[in-house]
Amino acid sequence: MRKLMTKALATAALLALTVGAQAKETVVWWDFLSGGDGVRMKSLIEEFNKTNPDIEIQATTLEWGVPFYTKVQTSAAVGEGPDVMTYHLSRLPLGVDSGVLREITADELKAAGIDGANYAPANWKAAQVDGKQYAVPFDIHSIVLFYNKDALKKADLLGEDGKPKGLDGIENFDAALKKLKDAGYDYGMSFQTAGDGGVWRVFYSLFNQQGGEFFKDGKFLDGDNVDKAAKAAGAMAKWVSDGVVPKQTDYNPSIALFTSGKAATLMNGVWEVPTMADLAKQGKLGFEWGAVQIPTLFDKPATWADSHAFAIPDRKGKEISPEKLKAVLTAIKWMNEHSISWANAGHIPAYVPVTQTEAFKTMEPNATYSTLAATAVFDPTSKLAGVASPVYEASANNITTVVNGDMDAQAGAEGLRDELQGLQD
Amino acid sequence: MHTKSRDNWVAAAFVAPFVIAYLVLFLYPTVRMVILTFTDAPLIGAGKWIGFKNYQRLFNDKAYISAVWNTGYFVLLTVIPNTLLGLVFAMMVNRQKGYVQSFILAAFFLPYILPVSVVYRIWEWMMDYQFGIAQYALDAFYGERVAVFRNKVWAMPMMAFVTIWWTIGFNVLLFIAGLRNISQDMYDASALDGAKRWKQFRYITWPLIWPVTALVLTIQLILQLKIFDQIYLLTLGGNVNNTMVLVQYIYKQAFQLNKGGYGATVAFSLFAIIVVVSVLQYQALRARPR
Repeated sequence: MRKLMTKALATAALLALTVGAQAKETVVWWDFLSGGDGVRMKSLIEEFNKTNPDIEIQATTLEWGVPFYTKVQTSAAVGEGPDVMTYHLSRLPLGVDSGVLREITADELKAAGIDGANYAPANWKAAQVDGKQYAVPFDIHSIVLFYNKDALKKADLLGEDGKPKGLDGIENFDAALKKLKDAGYDYGMSFQTAGDGGVWRVFYSLFNQQGGEFFKDGKFLDGDNVDKAAKAAGAMAKWVSDGVVPKQTDYNPSIALFTSGKAATLMNGVWEVPTMADLAKQGKLGFEWGAVQIPTLFDKPATWADSHAFAIPDRKGKEISPEKLKAVLTAIKWMNEHSISWANAGHIPAYVPVTQTEAFKTMEPNATYSTLAATAVFDPTSKLAGVASPVYEASANNITTVVNGDMDAQAGAEGLRDELQGLQD
Repeated sequence: MHTKSRDNWVAAAFVAPFVIAYLVLFLYPTVRMVILTFTDAPLIGAGKWIGFKNYQRLFNDKAYISAVWNTGYFVLLTVIPNTLLGLVFAMMVNRQKGYVQSFILAAFFLPYILPVSVVYRIWEWMMDYQFGIAQYALDAFYGERVAVFRNKVWAMPMMAFVTIWWTIGFNVLLFIAGLRNISQDMYDASALDGAKRWKQFRYITWPLIWPVTALVLTIQLILQLKIFDQIYLLTLGGNVNNTMVLVQYIYKQAFQLNKGGYGATVAFSLFAIIVVVSVLQYQALRARPR
């Protein structure tokens, strides 16, 4: 009997040892990447887990936008939530203000080997509030114009180089969209005309192409900026009322209209590049596609842009342990160093060394539209701005209503201004 | 020997678990919430005492007042239709026998067991402006497509329709239970006296089912005043002002704008509205002759 006991004990001890030796640091990961780029992210995580046997990322993808950020905020406040999450830099001031984000100190970054010098200065700084680092940038992403080459050819809008021609200037662009419709397509262009994101991105680009300033010195759409906003919204509303852009179309249907060949072009984020690439590869697209920087419709080129970053939630009463923090930062560093496959998802990697590789410089269609980076405009730096912020909601309430023809453009722009100013005061 | 005080102690011991749970889990949080309405607290954490400022703000807040109206409109569109339709369907189901009855009852009850996330997906897909199957019907009968959940005129009635479709099964069930309690003898006796269907309904079914009707009305009223899930989900990311209801406004203030104090104030006002309306309704229903 005693012998048996000893044996049992010895086995248990051995077992405990082996388990101890294999103990993995698990990293709970939340992201909102469910589009074509979500597939890329999942394979990145898989590869990380394979090549880093001592760390295991347990990833969950949540619904983009309000649901994601509300969940993050409430869970952090009660000490729950992930060890690391994706976060939009546009929302960083709001996130820090509501106490959701944990500072990543210079020492911690240094210990993990993450160096700010490897990022574009403006991008790195956008991850800070009052000089404190709250996130590590991962990419820069913006909207582009996806186009159906066959359609453009039919409407005589395709240049010798296989890229669209004659789209610059609002009159030319309007005429081009009509031509595409006349060429037998249901719509000249599609974008998400219902909801917040799609409308905001196009609106903000057109607004900035007029040199508008959305937020300055504590004032939203001050002075004649409101007229510029009305002009941008009015141009978008005209497309819808002319029937060249679909009305009240949600995000996924807006893409489906393009991929099914019903809309000749699509103004949407670079994150949908893999959707097109994958469909084309499977032979399901039925036409040749391309993507270019969005045309300059007003005075100067400008394209809305944002940045995905990694951040650590400030879980009240259940702070991240030093070991786990180390694992998280290892994962962040690894992701950035391997972000060439993220570039494959259409994004421009934030980690500069990757963008200097030959592989990135020749990657299509990224190489074609990467010119937009020089004139990219980011969301205003405000506690009210960013993804799933009051700015997005106010835009959905006012600009989206204008675009769908239910409100006058000037009234919509003023409504946007007043709604945001009301929250600011 | 049984003394009165001993009886009291025994009684207290039996009642204590409930009383303690009630005090700790209901009364205490309620009191704390009322205190919260006098502060500028964020969602989590303490705030400064600011007196009646939140209440002053409440009465000047256009968005709040429109949320009150929207909630009222939704209640109007759901409470009575949901109750009366429940009764009509229950009477129809009740006339069937055997398997047919079970099948029809199941058909009515099926939507009720769906979680709200599924309900919202079903209707979002059916009503999708570009690809929704119901849009073809709208096109044929109404003449044009309508983004029903984003259109100012259509949104609330559609929300009400989805809500009734989803929840009516439970009302049907309650009414069937009530109808089965009415003795067949009364119908037989009245038939002998020459009463036709309408008279039987008017003088037998309606008065005898009234307690159930009153119950369903009360449950419905409280439920619909607290409406949130469907409306939030179906307008997610869209123009939320058209259909902003009170609980959604609480959510917006507390969880999106991080204003716990003001959110609590809106919540407290909803509490007051529910109390007042329920008392009024109770009085109104009681006043009805049986």
